[in-house]
Amino acid sequence: MDEVKTDMLVIGSGAAGLAASVYAAESNQQILVIDKGAIGRSGSTVGAIQIASLGSWSHPEDSLEAYREDISDSGRGLSSPVLTDILVQDISDRIEDLLQWGLKLDKNVHNDILVAATSGHTLPRSISSKKGKTGLAILQVLTKKARKRNNIQRWSDVITLELVKANERVAGAVVLDLKKNKPYLIRCKAVILATGGIGQLYPITSNPAQSTGDGFALSLAAGASLVDMEQIQFYPVSLINPPSLSGLCLSFYHSAKLYNRNGERFMKKYEPETMENTTRDKLAIAIASEVEGGLGTPNGGVWVDAAENIEEVKRQFHHEYQLCLDRGLDFERHQAEAGPAAHFIMGGVLIDRNAASTMPGLYVVGESAGGLHGGNRLGNNALSECVVFGARAGMSAAREITQMSSITADVPLQTNKADKLIAVISNSGQGSERSYTCKKAVSELMGKYVGVVRSTEGLLQAKKELYAIEEKLAHVKIMSSPNFYSKEIVDYVEALHMVTTAHAVVEAALTRKESRGAHYNKDFPAQLTEAEHTIVKIENGKMTVQEEGEI
Amino acid sequence: MNQLVVKIDRSEMRTDQFEIDLRSGMTVLEAVDAIYFYHDPSLAYRYSCRTGLCTTCMMLINGKPGLSCMTIAEPGEDGILHLAPLPRGKNIKDLIQEV
Repeated sequence: MDEVKTDMLVIGSGAAGLAASVYAAESNQQILVIDKGAIGRSGSTVGAIQIASLGSWSHPEDSLEAYREDISDSGRGLSSPVLTDILVQDISDRIEDLLQWGLKLDKNVHNDILVAATSGHTLPRSISSKKGKTGLAILQVLTKKARKRNNIQRWSDVITLELVKANERVAGAVVLDLKKNKPYLIRCKAVILATGGIGQLYPITSNPAQSTGDGFALSLAAGASLVDMEQIQFYPVSLINPPSLSGLCLSFYHSAKLYNRNGERFMKKYEPETMENTTRDKLAIAIASEVEGGLGTPNGGVWVDAAENIEEVKRQFHHEYQLCLDRGLDFERHQAEAGPAAHFIMGGVLIDRNAASTMPGLYVVGESAGGLHGGNRLGNNALSECVVFGARAGMSAAREITQMSSITADVPLQTNKADKLIAVISNSGQGSERSYTCKKAVSELMGKYVGVVRSTEGLLQAKKELYAIEEKLAHVKIMSSPNFYSKEIVDYVEALHMVTTAHAVVEAALTRKESRGAHYNKDFPAQLTEAEHTIVKIENGKMTVQEEGEI
Repeated sequence: MNQLVVKIDRSEMRTDQFEIDLRSGMTVLEAVDAIYFYHDPSLAYRYSCRTGLCTTCMMLINGKPGLSCMTIAEPGEDGILHLAPLPRGKNIKDLIQEV
């Protein structure tokens, strides 16, 4: 296998991966950032609308303490106090950096920085750029910065098969350059993983095509621990119809009204005080409960009516309004079918204050990391997490490897999975199963058994069906030529990552015998007094789960 | 259900024609997905966000550059939907250009 050497490998190029690269590059270490899609344009960051932060725009009553408390309250006992402290302490400095590098914040009519209120934040602290295309704006600033550094190399269209170790430390990765399906062994001193979330594990999602849970599967196989993987946020009000917009988040749901099939404004039964303007976990559970109780719309959602505040919707959420209008859905005149869509995983790789995982040499940032948001992520805290922990990981990994000797060129790297995987691809002409069909099967079973409302029986069924899909994947049929870019090969590798990650979610969900945050099991509807974390690992080839009080 | 004829300029000067089931409101990206799922699994194309932001799904649609996720699948003047990679840049395969 051909080899590539670099000091630091960054996998993923959303806000977290690019922030890590840019901050790490200050050290003069050689950084290689890879993405299985187009660099800087293939992650969830692209669609992020606002970012929460303290700064000169802060409300006079806002403070580190107030922000910390909001995250902690929203986390339902599962937010790590250490990570929460770091987020609220670092965010304003990181925004300052971005502003110095060229980020322009949206202003109001008085030319003051526009600050929006968001459900769950007790004070308004959401700012934006490029009229609500904040994620894109941040990506552009970070990409420009990365381009200027000659110690950052960028490599698009390359998917990671396995993280490899030397002397019990992550020391590289086996990747597949999708342009020619050529495998490479990358040798490095540290890996920063920033591969985003898991939306594609579900049939309806707001996430991009690339959100197939790769990082969780890669980290598990490398020996890292995952925390609270059962905590998956479903964006409560996302379009179900038209199919081309399935999963589109309706960010204006706080100013809309929701009705069940009988025309009843059902939130009065669940949250009579806040009605629709409640946190995402509570709203998603309410909507899913209506649908479960037979009160859903024909396509399994509820009706959303935004006509009353349409001017506000047009003004503040213009992109969404226009997008719907272009597909024949005019919120001024029509109600739409909407329901919960897989949006964000609060769980993820267990990290410390510097984003180091429990496996030496492996740092994990952004949505792939777990523990900050606990049982429910507050709106607009995802981008904040990406820039704060991306920067932390970049700087601390650079500090760590500066003290290390040369890259372990002569140390044999343990690869295990990657060789087998490459062999399956080479022999796949004889197979019988389409990789795309396997991906679809994973998302269907996850939607059916591991969605907003779960049951122990359903979770056990999910586990059984996942094993069956795993078996099918061993007999994959790839018809396209392996010498050229093949979507079938991408789908195959993603399907494998999806199955491993789905197993971790199911195991964690089976272990949490209560309902807390985004995890609702109707067999255990109450929340226990003590909050425990679920910790998933792979030990001796077997997935294990433990419960731990503190992380 | 209506049928739509889609003609795609592919790698190595190859042009293939597919006949797909057309749903009302179907986008070009959904049409390309349908070809990959049901007609030809070797078809290569790129997309990410499906909401018109990432621009990675851009291609020539009936001769004009456009985002396949944002454009409704409609035939051109000759009754056929023509798709091709963007003319600029190096082609990786079929509808995918190097970034």
